[in-house]
Amino acid sequence: MKGASERAGAASGVAIACQGVSFAYLEGDRGVKALNEVTFSLSAGATVALLGPTGSGKSTLLQAMRGLLEPNEGEVRLDGLSRGEPGFAERQREVGIVFQTPEMQLFAMSAFEDVSFGPRQLGWPTDDVRAAAEEAMEQVGLPVAVFGARHPYSLSGGEQRRLALAGVLAMRPRVLLLDEPFVSLDPVARRELAAVLRALVAGGIGLIVATHDVDHAWALCEERLVLDGGRLVASGPWRFGDGGEADLVQHRLAVPFPVRLWERLGRPLTGAPRSAEQAAEALVAPAARKGSG
Amino acid sequence: MRTAIAQYYPAESALHSRDPRAKFVAVAAVAVALFTRDSFVALAVYGAAALVALAVSRVPLAWYWRGLKPVLWLIALTFVAQLFFVPGRALVALGPLKVSGRGLELASYLSLRLIVLVLVGSLVTLTTSPISLTDAIAWLGRPLRRVRVPTEEIALMMTIALRFIPTLLVETETIMRAQRARGAAFDRGGPLRRARALIPLLVPLFVLSFRRADELALAMEARCYRPGIVRTRMHPLHAGMGDWLLLAIAAAVIVLASLL
Repeated sequence: MKGASERAGAASGVAIACQGVSFAYLEGDRGVKALNEVTFSLSAGATVALLGPTGSGKSTLLQAMRGLLEPNEGEVRLDGLSRGEPGFAERQREVGIVFQTPEMQLFAMSAFEDVSFGPRQLGWPTDDVRAAAEEAMEQVGLPVAVFGARHPYSLSGGEQRRLALAGVLAMRPRVLLLDEPFVSLDPVARRELAAVLRALVAGGIGLIVATHDVDHAWALCEERLVLDGGRLVASGPWRFGDGGEADLVQHRLAVPFPVRLWERLGRPLTGAPRSAEQAAEALVAPAARKGSG
Repeated sequence: MRTAIAQYYPAESALHSRDPRAKFVAVAAVAVALFTRDSFVALAVYGAAALVALAVSRVPLAWYWRGLKPVLWLIALTFVAQLFFVPGRALVALGPLKVSGRGLELASYLSLRLIVLVLVGSLVTLTTSPISLTDAIAWLGRPLRRVRVPTEEIALMMTIALRFIPTLLVETETIMRAQRARGAAFDRGGPLRRARALIPLLVPLFVLSFRRADELALAMEARCYRPGIVRTRMHPLHAGMGDWLLLAIAAAVIVLASLL
């Protein structure tokens, strides 16, 4: 039996690779293609923004990466393993997926019950389940002592979102797939969730965030995949200042605000700040120094 | 799963373009007439008429077959029950079970009649969109308003229910996938365990449905919906020559079947 602490130490990402993945939804008698020969590979622990306009196939790709949708063609490899190979099922379990508006999937009578559902289903011993659920709730800023007994639907929207995230974290994933995690949250709730995600990344977890909000993506992720019409049109690290903007602008996406700001100011884009706050600091700090000196 | 509910097959045919009221009345009349006369000749007339209508409808035969499949076991049951349990002079004996001539006759007759009935019913549902079918039912139910049956509201409820079936199916699938990713297993264990496993699916589905119903009701009120009022229609029903012709043909078939 693995101890809970041993599992916690395993958060180091899973290398996910898609090889020619195609998927079509069945609508009546015909298939509607959602993914078209998508090929890429991500290293373990990578932080990746999955960008694309609405209907570009982001959610489908996330669910295919987790094995919830079976590709019609191609395959998803986890740490180099194919489906059916020894160790694949274990890897798949370590890929946690948080659906869009996951608070819609809360069902238990108490927050703690809901979070411990996942680990219980995995058949972990009671003590481990408890430890995992407590730790997960701590990680998302909803300590059990305060929130454990609350009914999930009595929490605020932002708290429900983070509780649903805790339900996935309790299964101790090594990589997290998030589908539009910030959608329909107020600014404070967005900031709190972003802080939780940054702490998880600092702890070594891999992160794949599907979104069309490039500002959030830019603040959280080192790489980006751009999907449009089910096709992968760009991959790898962010590129700005060398024509890389086209990868976003041509596909109904925006260039992140701090990058646009740096461009207007004529500053080198390689050192562009990650958020509006960072940009403000970078701009104000030298001025303040000048003022005092 | 989806096709069993949304049975409408959109196409352009002489049957698709008929007034839904005419189709409903014609088929209802034939269905009733089908049960008023027990003769193979009458059944043959109805069967032939149904086959002609099938050809006119331009709906692939596979779709009719799909409608027939769920009731096949019922037909088989009827056939077997009649075959063995109708008393009479035995033609064949299988141990204690005897097949009489009358039994064979009744068994084939009743099974064939069920098949014709299902085909005739499918003719309406396959060639009429659910929305115009509810319109037709609302119109035909209008006399009931005199005895305070809220027919308009019932029709609206049916329309809304039909409208949200596909939405609910998509949501069910999504929630199932999400809970499966959290380790839920919907197809393992005995009946009790399976029923318990449905809780993570049913609770979110109910919460979602009630929330949506609430919002829909508010949105409808905001757009001045008030119950108990007979509204005008965006697509008023128009009965033309073709619709009267359809009714005349149905009447002719019924008369022919009852005379022969």
